[in-house]
Amino acid sequence: MANRTYEVMYIVDPETPAEKLTKLNEAVASLIEKEGGTVVRMDDGGRRTLAYPIKKKTEGFYILFEIEGSGQEIAELERRMRVNDMIIRYITVRVDEDRKKAERIKTKRETRTSLRAKSRENAAAAAAEPEAMA
Amino acid sequence: MIDREMDEIKERDLLADEQFGEKAPRRYQRRRPRQVVPDYIDWKDVEFLRQFIPERGKIMPRRISGISAKDQRRVSTAIKRARSMALLPYVWE
Repeated sequence: MANRTYEVMYIVDPETPAEKLTKLNEAVASLIEKEGGTVVRMDDGGRRTLAYPIKKKTEGFYILFEIEGSGQEIAELERRMRVNDMIIRYITVRVDEDRKKAERIKTKRETRTSLRAKSRENAAAAAAEPEAMA
Repeated sequence: MIDREMDEIKERDLLADEQFGEKAPRRYQRRRPRQVVPDYIDWKDVEFLRQFIPERGKIMPRRISGISAKDQRRVSTAIKRARSMALLPYVWE
């Protein structure tokens, strides 16, 4: 299947000890690898205050994974995250399509500006030419 | 002609208080976008999304934000994602 890029973010209970947290993150990474995905980036956002309490908690550890894969590993990962007590919230967002779109807009704008610059150059050259002739 | 129209508008504005509740046409001033919307809107970029959230925590309507419909849609989905992850509040006091 076509390669897709996902962002998976989850919030871990602030009362989890540090070693358990690293273990959890390693488990997530190994699960992804096992299911045929690749971890592009793993970002530990650290302890943050939540904008509103979740399960009576006002803080949480934010972990972000960027994953490339077919989508199968996401299904498995979500299933595991749902039953894990340490994870109080998670989200998966598919980002490859939006990024591609953004890239397309960018290149379009760049070609347009370069074309405009070129036409301006041409106009300047045309204006300068008669003088050169004379 | 134009002057008379202007006078009428002025008069109506002055009478606005007395006519409250009646069908005084509500007019919005079209605002220019105050911020540039990037090609890729990151739902994790809280600082950027905060520009579209006035003090109550609601998403700023398009007539105020002045950005294009497409951008507004992208911004609002990004805000909703951030909200679900407790990066942004649903309501503020």
